[in-house]
Amino acid sequence: MDLFSNLALGFGVALSLKNLALCFTGCFIGTLIGVLPGVGPIATIAMLLPITFGIDPVGALIMLAGIYYGAQYGGSTTAILVNIPGEATSVVTTLDGHQMAKQGRAGVALGISAIGSFIAGSVATVLIAALGAPLTRMALLFGPAEYFSLMVMGLCFAVVLARGSILKAIAMILLGLLFSTIGTDLETGQERMTFGFAPLSDGLDFAVLAMGIFGFAEVIKNLENPETRDVVRQKVGRLLPNLAEMKQSAMPIVRGTFLGSALGILPGNGAVLGPFASYTLEKKLAKDSSRFGRGAIEGVAGPESANNAGAQTSFIPLLTLGIPPNAVMALMVGAMTIHGVIPGPQVMTKNPQLFWGMIASMWIGNLMLLIINLPLIGLWVKLLKVPYRLMFPAILLFCCIGIYSINNSPVDVAMTAFFGLFGYALIKFGFEPAPLLLGYVLGRLLEEKMRQALIISRGSFMTFVERPISAGLLVVAVIVLVVALLPSIQKKRDVVFTE
Amino acid sequence: MLRPRIAAPQDFAGGLFLIAIGLGALWASSGLGMGTLRAMGPGMLPKSLAVMVAGLGVLLLLTSLRVEGPALDRWSLRGLIFVLLGACLFALTIRGSDLPFGFTLPAIGLIAAGPLVAIVSAFASPETKWGEVLLFAAFMTALCAGIFKYALGLPIPLAPWLLGY
Repeated sequence: MDLFSNLALGFGVALSLKNLALCFTGCFIGTLIGVLPGVGPIATIAMLLPITFGIDPVGALIMLAGIYYGAQYGGSTTAILVNIPGEATSVVTTLDGHQMAKQGRAGVALGISAIGSFIAGSVATVLIAALGAPLTRMALLFGPAEYFSLMVMGLCFAVVLARGSILKAIAMILLGLLFSTIGTDLETGQERMTFGFAPLSDGLDFAVLAMGIFGFAEVIKNLENPETRDVVRQKVGRLLPNLAEMKQSAMPIVRGTFLGSALGILPGNGAVLGPFASYTLEKKLAKDSSRFGRGAIEGVAGPESANNAGAQTSFIPLLTLGIPPNAVMALMVGAMTIHGVIPGPQVMTKNPQLFWGMIASMWIGNLMLLIINLPLIGLWVKLLKVPYRLMFPAILLFCCIGIYSINNSPVDVAMTAFFGLFGYALIKFGFEPAPLLLGYVLGRLLEEKMRQALIISRGSFMTFVERPISAGLLVVAVIVLVVALLPSIQKKRDVVFTE
Repeated sequence: MLRPRIAAPQDFAGGLFLIAIGLGALWASSGLGMGTLRAMGPGMLPKSLAVMVAGLGVLLLLTSLRVEGPALDRWSLRGLIFVLLGACLFALTIRGSDLPFGFTLPAIGLIAAGPLVAIVSAFASPETKWGEVLLFAAFMTALCAGIFKYALGLPIPLAPWLLGY
């Protein structure tokens, strides 16, 4: 049993005292920052990236993964207690979670969310371990053409999964790809679109772009609206759900876990769809669907499980194919590269300790979230009562120090401010920035693989459709786009996202 | 005479925005060679992407004339200016910098640049109470110095003029 010996190796690494401590610290500070309203996982990780620099690669990645889960869970906490979703995926949680909180059942909502996330995380961990090896073997069959087509497919998914107009989403992807070409061309060594500005010759730092668009621009946007945060005044109440509530949530958790896991594997940020899909499904299956939106526990249990499962299975494309499926994973790539690990199929064979250690730590991280968050909910409630007028200068200070520390470069901070302006403009013009980040993330790899494929095929684009795997991936991409453009589906899509 | 009416002002502005970026990128990459498909030059991808971005901008612009859509949002300049100014001041003063026309800014380190960010950005909110901002700025800076400099040992300058690091 390869799977078990591998997992045993992983747990051996992850259970060392030092790595346990790192995992704990990561989960804790991840939640701490993630709880702050308007600070999602992307900004949290970009902010906290520098604190992992002094640690060995295995420990650093374990800690970062912990920060990621912590930020996710912190976002759910804010969604339930304050009705402010930290990011797209916790929008659904606000619907019933906040209603439960208003009825004095905040504790149960947070409890079931933690339990659901833990169950989902455990299943997803096993899934990653099981799929890791076969997918890695498959990745070795991939040539440049297949990689190119796979990324195109991922980008098409991202277009479909973005909110709002498809046209605008495509524009964002292309803009992201365009930004990725800034800097020295790796093939010819020529500087591209740098305007002779030396700090640009290495290209834009992804953390700078992400922090500008998801950190600074968010803060400016939040400042526009006068503070209307209503932290629940009702009692948080007991945390552990009773037997009847557990029974009600059991099946939603199972269904949410599978939906979320399946969607999370898709390249192109499929994970965002998980909670929406799970909520819609639960509402359809419920005997009395009018309870939804009024504090139905199934409406918290299902989406939260889907959310966490997707968050975790989105590691699969990164660890096996080396393709980050979303912005968070792109930050992970950044962190790995800093530590000299190049994500891709070779990680598992060359660096089994790191690969399996990280997977095992995912499960431990989920357990820790359960253990540290249940007793700490009182602390988060207090933190959420700090008014935004005090919180935002602190958030900005963290952002500045974080960005500065990544490269010890003051210019990076100024560039982040520039992208804050850019991100704010995007918000005002009604563009959703998430696809831009994905386009940026995949841009360099996409260009490299396209070049290689075209060199091999002597300049013929036919290579992408002549090779069966590549053609299959492109067909899927086209189908997805066409389906999304059908008017009937488009209506449904609007319903899913506005619900 | 009827004034032409734009059905979706937000999309109209968004279209212009994309066209401007596309044209800007086309201009910025004008010196780069296209190469051939067999050996793509450095300019091939940036130029094609710039054209596509501008093209989508045109498309968005045209649809915005006919299809009804949301109005333009008002920009809140106050938040924009002070938040970004705070970050830029941090960038300029953390290690000091040379400005055009012979001006120089001293390296004031985290001890002073930290409160500077907090205080300048606090102007962005109409709800700011100065007493608590000053107190909070001092507290957060001390906390960050403790975490980032002492606990993690990151090479961020603390107070070069006072401590020498």
